[in-house]
Amino acid sequence: MAERAILSNTRVQAALLLGPALVVYVVFAVFPMLDVIWLSFFKWNGLDPVKAYVGTANYVDVFTKDPVFWVAFRNTVIWTALSVAIPPMIGLALALGLNQPIFGRNSLRAIYYLPVIIASIAVATMWRWMYDPFFGLFGQILTSLGLQAWVPDWLGNRDIALYSAFGAYVWQSVGFSMVLFLAGLQGVNKSLVEAARIDGAGRWAVFRYVTLPALRTTLTIVLVLAIISSLKAFDIVYGLTGGGPAQSTQMLALWAFTQSMQIFDFGRGSAISVVLLAVTLAVVIPYMRWSQKREETAE
Amino acid sequence: MASVTISNVRKNYGAVPVIHGVDIDIHHGEFVVLVGPSGCGKSTLLRMIAGLENISDGTIAIDDKVVNHLEPKDRDIAMVFQNYALYPQMTVAQNMSFALELAKVDKATIRQKVDAAAAILGLEPLLDRKPAQLSGGQRQRVAMGRAIVRNPKVFLFDEPLSNLDAKLRVAMRAEIKSLHQRLGTTIVYVTHDQIEAMTMADRIVVLNAGRVEQIGTPLELYDRPVNRFVAGFIGSPAMNFVAGTLQAGQAGLKVASGAVIPIGPYPAEFAGRQVEFGIRPEHIQVADGNGLEARVEVVEPTGSETHVVIDMAGEKLVALIRHRISITAGDAMSVVFEEGQGHLFDADSGQRLTHTSATAAM
Repeated sequence: MAERAILSNTRVQAALLLGPALVVYVVFAVFPMLDVIWLSFFKWNGLDPVKAYVGTANYVDVFTKDPVFWVAFRNTVIWTALSVAIPPMIGLALALGLNQPIFGRNSLRAIYYLPVIIASIAVATMWRWMYDPFFGLFGQILTSLGLQAWVPDWLGNRDIALYSAFGAYVWQSVGFSMVLFLAGLQGVNKSLVEAARIDGAGRWAVFRYVTLPALRTTLTIVLVLAIISSLKAFDIVYGLTGGGPAQSTQMLALWAFTQSMQIFDFGRGSAISVVLLAVTLAVVIPYMRWSQKREETAE
Repeated sequence: MASVTISNVRKNYGAVPVIHGVDIDIHHGEFVVLVGPSGCGKSTLLRMIAGLENISDGTIAIDDKVVNHLEPKDRDIAMVFQNYALYPQMTVAQNMSFALELAKVDKATIRQKVDAAAAILGLEPLLDRKPAQLSGGQRQRVAMGRAIVRNPKVFLFDEPLSNLDAKLRVAMRAEIKSLHQRLGTTIVYVTHDQIEAMTMADRIVVLNAGRVEQIGTPLELYDRPVNRFVAGFIGSPAMNFVAGTLQAGQAGLKVASGAVIPIGPYPAEFAGRQVEFGIRPEHIQVADGNGLEARVEVVEPTGSETHVVIDMAGEKLVALIRHRISITAGDAMSVVFEEGQGHLFDADSGQRLTHTSATAAM
């Protein structure tokens, strides 16, 4: 009887349900995050029993003596800016199209969403093949059009490799924002659309004054998720170029990994991770606050 | 002001017909209410006038101009929706001026029209608020304001009071009616509430299952319903119906229990017909002991009147007594059917047979 009474307590129920997830979260997210911050103040090769405390030396080195860090930083900023603008825009366009009563729209929705469920490393492998200048899909298409002189070395040319990699990322990620926008479009009040049509609104005005305001919450979520996932962009770049050629596609997350796991300088790798964490928080926290405030004033 | 002419209009959803050839002539400046139960097609008909639904067959003309293929914005109509349909991100003033802004009317004129409409509806203090900061009644008023500023040929109302509480509904009813008297614009108003229809309309169109049952003034519908459906739909509490066979020699109506209830004179040739006799609750009155025998089953006092459910020869009837009466369930009661107030409907077709002059005389 006593056991029953304890189990029927809603607080106990909540603790039981949340407990396992909390343990996993602490072990695999909170602890590593704190450990990385701790490690960033030490010099350590990952094997030595002794870690040497070096203060802020790792940060100073990263900022002043590591040119690759700044390339990675610049690339991460470009990547983030592009992925805030392009995939959500394409995702919204697809969602608007697939929200119309067109033939086969459910199949099309599934097809556009498919890349999202493919592992990034598999996407990278596919696209590396498609980008092959001799045997790849894009090269073949250009050649068949008689444009063989125009076939670039998609992933080998340091001026365009980053953008080629980004193309693969767009293909993989538009489905995700598309699905979020489709869900948001279900929530658009139909009589508002009708009221606007009676008020004289054409397609564009209905979109501008009814659809877009109704999608504001969805838009916030899509943009925040786009920022977060692009700041930590790693696997697709790792699979496509490994950061090359000549570090031209190096990203912060990838460089942190390389420093720790390949160069075995865990202190410096951790320092780069902490910088990345700080940048992410610096972007995301004000945005969340701002959008929250906007929502509150709209109510 | 404008006329609206609906000619043989049909609507099919795929193979399913929902409106079966409706004809309605709405005159300049008239307040016409489309009323009927859920699913009767009244909202669909209104949406076809608005241009929000395609017309499968027939024509709709506004001021003699066929509008079948015109976009909603080109029909010169304004519509008030059940859920108000206010733009949530805009203030009251912006909501009201939106249509004019889209039409590129100059700012000074917009301002003047919005102010005028706000003055009519008492919205001046609310112009800078957002819809979420308004009560249901205020939102309803803004929705009307949005319609007024456009000065359209026809106002369309789609169950605009359904989301309001009972008290506010009565107040808004009066407000819409006085607005119509003030502006004189043609109004087509949809509701499922027959009281709204009765209190507001110049003429009522009763719809049922996609067909017009009757068109007429409120009192025409009340006094001379053309069939059993209209008779039962209009009026609250609803008309009483007693099914039976009319007897020869004006003897009355033989009901299920085998008893014969005298219902007053009716044409001799009706003898032997299966009918439904209809009598409104207020036309059943207390007699001084020489009326029809009945037993009281339920007494419902409302203050101003008393609803009494009575059993007469096994038939349940509701009587509406307008004076104070002291009776309780189980009492015997003597009642009369008021003279000339009975209705006879064919049992099969439901069509009105004649206006009998029912009398209480035994």
